[in-house]
Amino acid sequence: MYGYVRPVKGELKVSEYERYRGVYCGLCHELSRRYGFLARFLVNYDFTFLAMLLAGDERQQSCPRRCAAHPIRKTQCLCHTESLAAAADMTVILGWWKLADGGEDKRPPLCWGYKLACLLLKRAYKKAAGRQPDFARAVEVDLEALRRLERENCPSLDEAADKFALILRAIGQGLPEGAGRRVAEELLYHLGRIIYILDAADDLPEDEKSGAYNPLRFRFRQENGRLTAEDEKTLRAGLQLSHNALAGAYALMEENPYGPILSNIIYLGLPAVTQAIFAGTWKAPAKYHRERRSI
Amino acid sequence: MNDPYSVLGVSPQASDEEVKKAYRDLARKYHPDNYHDNPLADLASEKMKEINEAYDTITKSREQGGGSSSGYSYGYGGSAYQSAGQRQGAGRAQYVQIRNLINANNLAQAESMLNAISEHDAEWYYLMGSVYWRKGWMDQAGQYFRTAATMEPGNVEYRNAVQYMNQGGQAYRPAGGGDMMGGDMACNMCQNLICADCCCEMMGGNLIPCIGCR
Repeated sequence: MYGYVRPVKGELKVSEYERYRGVYCGLCHELSRRYGFLARFLVNYDFTFLAMLLAGDERQQSCPRRCAAHPIRKTQCLCHTESLAAAADMTVILGWWKLADGGEDKRPPLCWGYKLACLLLKRAYKKAAGRQPDFARAVEVDLEALRRLERENCPSLDEAADKFALILRAIGQGLPEGAGRRVAEELLYHLGRIIYILDAADDLPEDEKSGAYNPLRFRFRQENGRLTAEDEKTLRAGLQLSHNALAGAYALMEENPYGPILSNIIYLGLPAVTQAIFAGTWKAPAKYHRERRSI
Repeated sequence: MNDPYSVLGVSPQASDEEVKKAYRDLARKYHPDNYHDNPLADLASEKMKEINEAYDTITKSREQGGGSSSGYSYGYGGSAYQSAGQRQGAGRAQYVQIRNLINANNLAQAESMLNAISEHDAEWYYLMGSVYWRKGWMDQAGQYFRTAATMEPGNVEYRNAVQYMNQGGQAYRPAGGGDMMGGDMACNMCQNLICADCCCEMMGGNLIPCIGCR
């Protein structure tokens, strides 16, 4: 996905960082175990967050494993749990649709790469969709609606963001009915909104040049590929309101084994990423590594 | 009821100060101002009630010689969230009905009733903004609130809504937590402190209704 949902590493305890890495590696191994080697490349920070968020009260155990990225020293990975498996399923579903999207959006030769990846992962996708049929359907329907809005150059930021937010919200639909699910769905909805809007802000300069659809281009005024100061303020105030809603829902969640890491991501990580995107340092090549490592 | 100490997350051996601090922290977290017009407000209010009860139980059980009643507990004043609809005496009967629908979280019907009204005055824009707000469509909500405030600059309710949006609202954040606005953090922390300590009418008007310290 996008990688906007990540902790500020410097503010994690060493033990928390190791657990976080364990979930990331665990998700990667789970992807490989369930869907084959290629599916590993779909692992991402956003779904690592979701795997932790949905961890519930299952026992979280770690086991040492070797992989291509860590061939010599084994890393401590989170062992198989139900929620980790579900996170892997959803990673494949959303990842595949994103590749399919890229295959249609990008220009050749880039789009061929996407199409090939799509083809290679088709079987994995079918398997994942069979395991999470409701989520697969939600993704398909909402992404189609989003594509339609994009074709029509939808001027409403909220309407476009709503479609993506609904996809994330659908992750919560597997939870048992009740207050816990309501809270999770509200949190996921606003997380989806924030991711979509951050992505739009991140891509704005490029989209401005290439003329691709970007909701911000139609909603706000720009100068030299950037929003005017006043509009940026309005946009960020809107992001803040969504973040408030997210934080409000998070405060109501049941206790979670990854509480401190989740808090770091929500209260520190998201604001830091937002700051970097609006400062223009998120994508800057020279600073690429330094910036990202510090977050 | 659950063990009051575990509700506050302190040990039964904790000092009065520690209990009070734990209570204040939690009260700040679940404060009604953080859940204004929020679909989860009912859950937050339950939580708040639980915390208040736990704190009351502890202070009462510890109150032997001193007899100092705590005298302060944060609360969700019964109908604070429904206040919006009542004071629009002069408004159209329909608007009152729509306000009630919005407060009952029946957004689909409120929206379709609004769409059926062809003449759009300031109140219409304000209510449409409220519908969007509840849906979580913050950007659109802001645009409608602003239109309402421009059409009727004298209206305090509309103006407060706009101000609230522009400031990025209000929410609980732990000390040191960042925000999305890129403004200075001190200001945000300050807001939280003010909110925890006085909680009354900090922004005024109805969008953050006065909940009051009981």
